[in-house]
Amino acid sequence: MNAEASVIRTQPLPGDFAIWIFIFAELTVFGVLFAAYAFARSAHVDLFNAAQLGLNRVYGLANTLLLVTSSYFVARATLSIKAGRSTACGHWLAGALGLGACFLAVKLAEFHQDFAQGISLSANLFDMFYLSLTFFHFMHVVMGMVILAVVARKAYAGRYSAADHTGVETGASYWHMVDLVWIILFALVYVIH
Amino acid sequence: MKSPAALPFKPCTVSWAALLVLTTISFELGSDASGRMLMAAVLALTLIKGQLVVSHFMGLHRVRLEWRIAMAAYLAAVGGVIALAYSIS
Amino acid sequence: MKYQSQAVAKPYFIAALALFVGQIVFGLIAGLQYLDGTFLFPELPFDVAHMSHTNLLIVWLLMAFMGAAYFIVPEEAQTELYSPKLALVTFWVFLTAGALTIAAYLFVPYAHLAAITGNAALPTMGRGYLEQPLPTKIGIVLVALSLLFNVTMTLIKGRKTSINLILVGSLWGLALLFLPAFYFPQDTVKASFGWWWIVHGWVEGDWELILGALLGFILIKMTGVDREIVEKWLYIIVAMTLVSGLIGIGHHYYYTGAPSYWIWLGSIFSALEPLPFILLIAFSFKMLLARRREHPNKAAMLWALGTPIMAFLGAGLWGFMITLAPAQYYMHGTNFTAAHGHLAFFGAYAMVSLAIISYAMPLLRGRIANSAAAQRWEIAGFWIMVLSMLGIALALTGAGIVTVVLQRAADDPMPFMQVQDKERVFFWLRELAGVGFFVGLLVYLRSFFVSGEYEYAGEMKRALAT
Repeated sequence: MNAEASVIRTQPLPGDFAIWIFIFAELTVFGVLFAAYAFARSAHVDLFNAAQLGLNRVYGLANTLLLVTSSYFVARATLSIKAGRSTACGHWLAGALGLGACFLAVKLAEFHQDFAQGISLSANLFDMFYLSLTFFHFMHVVMGMVILAVVARKAYAGRYSAADHTGVETGASYWHMVDLVWIILFALVYVIH
Repeated sequence: MKSPAALPFKPCTVSWAALLVLTTISFELGSDASGRMLMAAVLALTLIKGQLVVSHFMGLHRVRLEWRIAMAAYLAAVGGVIALAYSIS
Repeated sequence: MKYQSQAVAKPYFIAALALFVGQIVFGLIAGLQYLDGTFLFPELPFDVAHMSHTNLLIVWLLMAFMGAAYFIVPEEAQTELYSPKLALVTFWVFLTAGALTIAAYLFVPYAHLAAITGNAALPTMGRGYLEQPLPTKIGIVLVALSLLFNVTMTLIKGRKTSINLILVGSLWGLALLFLPAFYFPQDTVKASFGWWWIVHGWVEGDWELILGALLGFILIKMTGVDREIVEKWLYIIVAMTLVSGLIGIGHHYYYTGAPSYWIWLGSIFSALEPLPFILLIAFSFKMLLARRREHPNKAAMLWALGTPIMAFLGAGLWGFMITLAPAQYYMHGTNFTAAHGHLAFFGAYAMVSLAIISYAMPLLRGRIANSAAAQRWEIAGFWIMVLSMLGIALALTGAGIVTVVLQRAADDPMPFMQVQDKERVFFWLRELAGVGFFVGLLVYLRSFFVSGEYEYAGEMKRALAT
């Protein structure tokens, strides 16, 4: 582990560089969406404040804790494979997938409740943003889980090693991006008013 | 940056704990009545959380300077735009 | 040419170019009719000239894409085409159906054409780009299925590369996205949705993937750059196209009666649609700089580099001008749209078609590249067409500005025909540029008749002598 000290701060981005182009692109898209939300709100402050009260913030909190933890599990998976422990890596990824599935379940339950309450894309501008942002993010969680599932399978099959685990880092980077986006989204849409 | 062997916990574990704590704090701060300072604090905490994910989950603390700057710039830009939009509301 | 069956691409390419000439002739007629509404009336009224112009465009581009597929898929899959005979039969069916359809437009009154071709049974006629009678539309589907069957079977038995996966996949997408042509509801809002699923889905989605695949193929062959690098770029470009274009379709839904959330979603996502075009420019120039060989087909390289730039200008820049909802409120359906449409269609799809023809035709004729003299004609044609098209776009943009100022944004809007009258100078400039474009096309076509292949020894001598 002391090898780490000698390569501090000079490494390339973890995983395949192509995924990072994709990550930067996705971050840009979400960034634009966040900016649009914030500026749209500035013209309709009362509407946004009022409509925001219709959200169930506990669901949001639960989802944040779930996603952050699953991201932690993925980080642990990466550490495992760096130490050559590919089965452990598989287990950590499986755990992350489980938590990801919980995230999706919570989000679906929340959507169900939202629709019952009359929240819809056409209800008002806040609801439009809330549903668009969280649905768009939901789809990215699904995609991230597909990627992690593929990586987990390969990890269990022993296809990665301490010397060669680019796939793990690639998939992990994407998942962390999904987590990062949610952290901002949660604060912006659920909390800040 | 101490090597992991020197700490009782891995850096990513410490970050995770910090994220859980900061999330709960943000949630609590946001639960009560509003106030510019409180909301600014929530935003700041959010950016710190983001930076933790970038540095210790994505592992960018080990990576070349230009990428760390890029990600930090992203967080600053998003935070800045949000702060700007809220300040003119 | 590595596989004998690639030869079936040749008739497709030749027909494509012939139909291209037809397209421009009708374009010149229609452009003149802007200035003199009685020109060729009633034998060839404006609506017939217009739909012949647009339909020929689509058919020649489809011919070019099909030829490209028959050329590229066997080479990428490293196996002969599944059925060259089927490809040739399909060619004649497509060409005949296309010719008959244009003849029908010209010689049969449209309403009567609809009556005798069963439009009452399943109405599909009467919409822009989709004016074809029902039998023609069915024919297009059958031709597409034949192409898909042929290239898919070839792909299955051969090597699967990113290029041929993207190409064949997007050809499937092209066919599927044509199906809304059979959906023509009474509700004009829904009809609008269906129309845009085809048009936007094609030109701002599926066809961008085809463009990427074709460019990628040309660049791998001409620069010798590592396939893996090209593939990585393509994946990113494909991803950005889908990320921006899928929800970006909303920029056609602002003012058509769709829910108002499209104003936001369409604006935000379509604003990102220029990104894949920027990436395409970066991609092609990066490959050029990293090249490991000097390919003698300089003309093809010029097309390959010019395509992303013109595509960015027409689709990315001019498209961006009219994409945000507040801007489109004033510019919707004006000559801004016509400027964008012309520059984008030519810059992206006509040019990539001419690029693949430029690369493949010499090979289909038995040589690696045409003679320097032939290439000079081709390159001259390139520049004349490119500059003329930019002229067309600028002229139409001028007309669009007049419309916005006098009719859309004005406190006291001037009536439509009066505004059109004020724009006459721009329509003259457009027609002039159109004539220039036609000249460029003829110069370009001349290059095919300048004989000889690339003479390495001769060219080396010339280069060393200067």
